[in-house]
Amino acid sequence: MKKSLLMSLMMVLVIVPFLSACSGDEDASGDGEVAQEITVNASSEPPSLDPALATDTTSGWVIEHVFEGLYTKNKDGEVVPGLAEKMELSDDKKVYTITLRDAKWSNGDPVTAEDFEYSWKRILNPETGSSFAFYLYYLKGAEEYNKGKGSVDDVGVTAVDDKTLKVELNSPTGFFEKLLAFWSYYPVNKSVVEGNKNWVAEADTLVSNGAYKLSSWEHDNQLVAEKNDNYWDKENISMEKITWKMVNDATTYYQMYKSGELDLITSLPVDVIPQEEGNEDFKITPYFGTYMYMFNVDKEPFTNPKVRRAFNLAIDRASITENISQSGEKPAKAFVPYGVETPEGDFREQKEAYFEENVEEAKKLLEEAKQEEGWDELPAVELIYNTSENHKKIAEGVQEMLKQNLGVEVTLNNQEWKTYLDTTDQGNFQMARMGWIGIYVDPTPILDYYLGDSPNNRTNWVNEKYDSLMAKSKGIQDEAERMKVLHEAEDVLMEDLPFMPVYYYTNNYLTSTDYEGVVYPVNRYPNLRWAKKVSN
Amino acid sequence: MYIIKRLFTMLVTIWVITTLTFIIMHSIPGDPFASDADVLPEEVLENMRAKFNLDEPMPVQYALYLKNLATLDLGPSIQSKTRDVNTLIADGFPASALLGIQSLVIALVFGLILGIIAALNRNGIIDYAAMAFAIIGISIPSFILAPLLIKYFAVDWGLLPVASWGTWLHTVLPSVALATAPLAIVARFMRSSMLEVMNQNYIKTADAKGLSTTGIVIKHGIRNALIPVISFIGPLAAFLLTGTFVIEKIFAIPGIGKYFVDSIFNRDYPVILGTTIFFSAILIITLFLVDISYRIVDPRIKLSSKGD
Repeated sequence: MKKSLLMSLMMVLVIVPFLSACSGDEDASGDGEVAQEITVNASSEPPSLDPALATDTTSGWVIEHVFEGLYTKNKDGEVVPGLAEKMELSDDKKVYTITLRDAKWSNGDPVTAEDFEYSWKRILNPETGSSFAFYLYYLKGAEEYNKGKGSVDDVGVTAVDDKTLKVELNSPTGFFEKLLAFWSYYPVNKSVVEGNKNWVAEADTLVSNGAYKLSSWEHDNQLVAEKNDNYWDKENISMEKITWKMVNDATTYYQMYKSGELDLITSLPVDVIPQEEGNEDFKITPYFGTYMYMFNVDKEPFTNPKVRRAFNLAIDRASITENISQSGEKPAKAFVPYGVETPEGDFREQKEAYFEENVEEAKKLLEEAKQEEGWDELPAVELIYNTSENHKKIAEGVQEMLKQNLGVEVTLNNQEWKTYLDTTDQGNFQMARMGWIGIYVDPTPILDYYLGDSPNNRTNWVNEKYDSLMAKSKGIQDEAERMKVLHEAEDVLMEDLPFMPVYYYTNNYLTSTDYEGVVYPVNRYPNLRWAKKVSN
Repeated sequence: MYIIKRLFTMLVTIWVITTLTFIIMHSIPGDPFASDADVLPEEVLENMRAKFNLDEPMPVQYALYLKNLATLDLGPSIQSKTRDVNTLIADGFPASALLGIQSLVIALVFGLILGIIAALNRNGIIDYAAMAFAIIGISIPSFILAPLLIKYFAVDWGLLPVASWGTWLHTVLPSVALATAPLAIVARFMRSSMLEVMNQNYIKTADAKGLSTTGIVIKHGIRNALIPVISFIGPLAAFLLTGTFVIEKIFAIPGIGKYFVDSIFNRDYPVILGTTIFFSAILIITLFLVDISYRIVDPRIKLSSKGD
């Protein structure tokens, strides 16, 4: 006993000094003026803050605050020049000559055209192993180089001098400015990256060129960024300091918000949404993505288009969003979500629905299909989804509706995420859940999903007319004309229905009423640079 | 000689664990690079597989891994593109270990006291109260207890922070939540062990010799009753030190507990192997320390390599 007591005592003696050492960082904020600081929840450690390697929106959230590309987005979500001062397009619409403005890295180095050339070639370098390199395939020679079939010297980006960048594309690309605002096109500081291969892992070695610079990074705990005094547009940045906490548990971050430890959270536990709805600090914004079920058109009964249409007509989407998912989602009767600005207004509002839900019509279609195929009974249907409480509830809802409305018995099955991806990639499904988010706000990244040669397209649906319309749209410079062709492509897709759209995603936020000016883009987490804390 | 032999056994154990883990994890379907957000052209996937040596045949991958392991290099993480496995563990282990030590101390100090008091008051009110508490402690899972603690101590009464990491106050609730179940187990162990020891003849002899009750309890009772409890402490310490998924998730602790689980879902092979090996090493070391402490508590036990 004496010895074990002694042991415990020793342990206490060892621990206590350490503990008291950690407890001294109480922040005494200045009196009078409100300190311009905000603490938000990033949910998890960003896997990479290297623009060439980041593939997720959590990393993207931080990257877009600490880095900046040739183009950037303003408060209204419009793409505007960032580091580019001037951009000239050649007559054949394939060569851009870009003049850089005077801008500096957070370590004081000037941002040069050479940094861009280096960065773009770096992400395309096969050894970098970037999974977003294909977003740069619009550049001449880029795809060949990335796939190991071409030389780095043939990649269409050249630094003419310190301030001038020449970019050559494979073909005219109407939405190139949107791409330039995307993080895969952001620059990194050549000498920093070449000097230290772990430059991006810690706050003190990470050099960036955006509105903020990292001041501390405690892995898996928090990341702090402070306003970058070297940023060219610093006058227009109102928020001085942003802290991203990494709290993963929904109930926990909700309670941290409620107790004032967090000022903004980017999702809520589903069960508290009804009680928060209508409160001043609660916000639902559309999210640029679609929740859907894919049909495998090579597997019966979905070989018959009438069956696919019948399934689409037989479910009640509004009932799913109102009673099951309950996060203010919009029922989807098309593929491209709301949020794309076109010369004629919102892309989706121009044609909101491709069909109306109609049980009678659905029954009729199903009967016709059975006769055409000579089926007495519809072949058994299995619906699979990746294991999650929410997907399960929605799948059960769909199962019930198909049974009630069409008399079709659907069996449900679920698999853990990576196994599920493996199964669907191999085409071992009849009907499978999937979600798709547009990485930039344009119909193209959405509609590309069902291209015949897209690795995402697991449905085996290949349509030449669709593919050629999509290819045609990419070469059109005139925005109105381009949108028209994209509408035509979507018409083809929605005629054949290799999938069943269910709803367009939303995001739910709680933002403390102490803050004004937080911007909520449709496909990103909130932009905080223009936010202002107005009271304590 | 004993130490050398023991060390050799440890290395063999780790090698066997590594090999088994390697085989099992590669037999799970799924690909570390699969995701819904970016299904990639085959050429690009090849670039990425090559970066992590996943394009090599299995035996080559295995040999490469063992070669790196021999230099204590656990390799890169596929998920975290910036930190390798050694760094992940080095960054996360201090937080997990601090919580682990605190909860171990809480569990042992209070568990032993509770167990001893209960045993000495056998079938009395204190005994029933202590054992009722122990049963509740064992049966309430930490994912229920933790939110309850947060609700009362952090949200309703505002005494402690809800979660996250920074000051010592942040460690109080997770340590308590982590300690409750082991505390209850230790208490029950200690109680039954004490009861058994107190019925032994040597205790009766000591009593007959006229020793004071306190003297008997401390010198003969507790000391002998501790032996079965100590064998339980080894694995317990290993589990507590390496963090737990549930507590770390609920309290947003920057520890390594979550990597044990997340790495499997992500098919992050080097992290699966690295965390498994790290946990095995800690477990083996604590078991070794337990063996040594037997010797201290009970001089009859000799450390010998015979029959080991």
